[in-house]
Amino acid sequence: MERRDFIKISALSGVMATLEACRAPEKQLIRFIPEEELVPGIATWKPSVCTLCSAGCGLQVRVMQGEAEVVRRGQQGVIKMGLAKKLEGNPQHPVNKGKLCARGHAGLQVLYHPDRITQPIKRTGARGSGEFQEITWDDALKEVAGHLSMLQSSKSTEMLAFLGRPLHSQRRELIARFLKSYGARPAVWYQPFDEAVLRQANLLSFGHAALPTFDLARADYLISFGSDFLGTWNSPVAQSLGYGEMRQGRPGRRAKFVQVESRMSQTGANTDEWIACRPGMEGALALGIAHVILSEKRAPQGAGSHAGSLIVGWSAGLPDFAPEAVEKQTGVPAAVIKRLAHEITQSGSAAAMIGGAPLAHTNGLFNALAVNALESLVDSARDAEPILGFMPESLPGEATGSMQASLASLNALAQSALSGQPHTPQMLLLYEADPIFSAPPALRIREALGKIPYIVSFGNFIDDTSAQADLILPDHAPLESWLDSMPESGSLQAVASLAPPAVLPLHDTRSMPDVLLGLAHQLGGEVVKALPWTTYDAMLRAAFVPLRSRGGSINAQTDDDFWDAAQTQGGWWSSLSPAHSTGSKAVASSSLAAAKHAPVAMTAPEFAGASGDYPFYFLPYVSQAFGDGSLAHLPWLQELPDVLTSAMWSSWVEINPKTGERLGIQPGDLVEITSQQGSVRAPAVLSPGIAPDMVAMPAGQGHENFGRYASGRGTNPLSILAPLADRETGSLAWAATRVKITRAGGPEQAKLVLFAGGMSGFPHEEQRR
Amino acid sequence: MSHKWGMVVDLDRCTGCEACVVACHAENNIPTAGEDQAARGRAKHWIRVERYWEGDFPNPKIRFQPVLCQQCDEAPCEPVCPTYASYHTPEGLNSQVYNRCIGTRFCANACPYNVRFFNYYNPTWDMPLQLQLNPDVSVRSVGIMEKCTFCVQRIKAAEIQAEAEKRELKDGEFTTACAQSCASKALVFGDLNDPNSEVSRLSSSNRGTKLLGELGTKPNVTYLERGNWQDGKNG
Repeated sequence: MERRDFIKISALSGVMATLEACRAPEKQLIRFIPEEELVPGIATWKPSVCTLCSAGCGLQVRVMQGEAEVVRRGQQGVIKMGLAKKLEGNPQHPVNKGKLCARGHAGLQVLYHPDRITQPIKRTGARGSGEFQEITWDDALKEVAGHLSMLQSSKSTEMLAFLGRPLHSQRRELIARFLKSYGARPAVWYQPFDEAVLRQANLLSFGHAALPTFDLARADYLISFGSDFLGTWNSPVAQSLGYGEMRQGRPGRRAKFVQVESRMSQTGANTDEWIACRPGMEGALALGIAHVILSEKRAPQGAGSHAGSLIVGWSAGLPDFAPEAVEKQTGVPAAVIKRLAHEITQSGSAAAMIGGAPLAHTNGLFNALAVNALESLVDSARDAEPILGFMPESLPGEATGSMQASLASLNALAQSALSGQPHTPQMLLLYEADPIFSAPPALRIREALGKIPYIVSFGNFIDDTSAQADLILPDHAPLESWLDSMPESGSLQAVASLAPPAVLPLHDTRSMPDVLLGLAHQLGGEVVKALPWTTYDAMLRAAFVPLRSRGGSINAQTDDDFWDAAQTQGGWWSSLSPAHSTGSKAVASSSLAAAKHAPVAMTAPEFAGASGDYPFYFLPYVSQAFGDGSLAHLPWLQELPDVLTSAMWSSWVEINPKTGERLGIQPGDLVEITSQQGSVRAPAVLSPGIAPDMVAMPAGQGHENFGRYASGRGTNPLSILAPLADRETGSLAWAATRVKITRAGGPEQAKLVLFAGGMSGFPHEEQRR
Repeated sequence: MSHKWGMVVDLDRCTGCEACVVACHAENNIPTAGEDQAARGRAKHWIRVERYWEGDFPNPKIRFQPVLCQQCDEAPCEPVCPTYASYHTPEGLNSQVYNRCIGTRFCANACPYNVRFFNYYNPTWDMPLQLQLNPDVSVRSVGIMEKCTFCVQRIKAAEIQAEAEKRELKDGEFTTACAQSCASKALVFGDLNDPNSEVSRLSSSNRGTKLLGELGTKPNVTYLERGNWQDGKNG
């Protein structure tokens, strides 16, 4: 026996003795052997993966020894263990290169959140009452397995439904296999701000059903149509890295950046030129610029011909989009359109991107195809490598982005539940999606879930949707889990991020993929054939090991070495070869052939609500702090002053000062915003960065249930959205609702908390109340 | 060689993403005030991003400006402290000696940058959020002042390590939490006494200005002005 083993055994028997000695479990002091590599006071760094958005940045977790109260084998006690202390970006990771955004840093608070569900719980009160009682894992899993075999034996497995937040990991593959082999209906992946329109447009224009990767560090001119690429859209950390270089990374060469939008975003605030455009008409503006380039023969013959062929009238030089005509449609002066076309074609390299609100109209796909055509015309026409590219695929399968619009599939599920027909869902598995909070009210999600007799949630917080669950099987926090991520953009290298758990679990939770694999084994038959692994890391290993043959970041002789190296590096990535940067020039022709589409003519956006009754466009936007609201429970992000308003802990509505003056609305006043679907109240922020006929609200607040920091705080703009969708893809047109506003009270009735920064020496600093 | 720590904030790179703000909270154990205390102006952000609007729709302009302690050479906060809690270190930091501070708040009144924060109450963390605390940084109790330290715990750790290895500190070997997180590399930290450091090189840029420099505070933070595309090329 080695000395180390002897110490282990004596320590363990000491633990047993202690356990015997104490009667009251809450008084028991359990001391496990510390993790061996940890020296008190010395930090070790472990790789991990950020799962808070789909960008899939690589993390490094600072782990130090500390004392934590944990649950082990049903016993609560204090142990010494490795604790995560800080998150940093992984410097080797090709997407974020050592950097991390504000939301990513707050991932630490997901782990230590006081309102995490610490063990399985079962509903005792009415649905949504929030009354649950604790049950053991054994009982909980028996119950779930019982329901699953019951559906199997009654040959009604298609009555099992799954509703989750879109994942970019092998978990998605696991869930898909589970559902398919069991015979359930395909999973519904829902998030309100989805990217189905852009993926569809990129498939048609460039042959890639994926979000784009712009190599901004090489751009001399960038025109962005609505995309908040420095804040919340696509891969913001990777894009910010490129942006810094585009501005000051090349001595003597500074790019021009133009943003087109109707409410100044954080990204729009950084422009050289900000252009206000009528909502939903961004595509027409892009074609107006293209018209000037084509008619003045400023691009090589045939440039952008494929992406352009998707637009009616392209080969004839877009006769309907003369600058004067476009001025009438968009409100952008013809002289500006001409000047932009000249500037773009005179620059060394240029790119056009679209994201956010322009895609969230009923004509979203048209706007996307129009901007793609402009991008193709100005970017791919050059001799140099294009700015636009697409990330090569790392792991095949379900893991990458979905083409399916999440609104359409969610609506199908809700309608099916509400119909009362045979084959309506009898059992629902819920995983981190919160459609009661984030879906338009017309979908009647709350009512639909009420019709489903049995709902199981895997989330580790009670949110508005999981409050309806009958049973909650809490997942580990991400830092306690095996993590993987297959980003769809942010680098021109293929990337498959991977990390083992950075810390041991704090609570009596279980990894959601492991629970599904365990259920697969209990069900047996086809399900276990599709999922032969007993743990998720075994499944990950099977998926990752084939990457060894592709070389790249890991040079390993054996599969074991490869697997170890992938865990140490935080994943695998391919080397950057020119052949991989399949930009708009190297269009993926095979996919193009499969995705034929008739040319699209300009269509005007439709809005819910007549302009007479509802005079304002309503723009709910992705919050810089909370994303779509899924991060509103984290106190660091609640106290983060919004960069454009300095608001914390609050909802607010942005109104143009002239509109405020006309309606008698002062800063901080309570304002009621009413659409055809309902109304919300929020304090007013008067902002010069918004059109006089528009009001805007950040999404994210207004949860009924989401932990102590978010519950009952602020109001939810998504709750008054009309259920309009993009005409082709069915994706939620979240910018297509019109509203009216009235003053509902003074500042004392509104709760608007602003950060008291500011310097008396700077007179320009906005006046705060 | 003695060090003189300084920072450059490139306003042409800064995007207003506020990653620095949360990174600073995580690194320096800054307590969350909560809604009610924040409404009374008691939220603490050692680094913040200010905004300056100009013009009206449809031509509004906004400028972001991260503001943190300027670590002034002639710091107005230092001579007013009756207990020498505001102290100028040999390496040029305006440090705050917590156990000397008696909470007169004279320093906060004297500081033109509004970067000193008073602890109106003892900080608390809802269990188990206290596990996020950085053991290298002390938490501050009621009645004392706190402020940006340029992550002095990181400075000290790096200096001690270099000394143990009997070598000079290398530029870029470590940085502050805000600069480490900054994706567009707007924040650059380093040793102004090292003429070859990146921060020294950038500090001498012709875009460089000092915040409220006319007050004679001699800040060790240099702001680089935004470039102007109309001027054409800008280095």
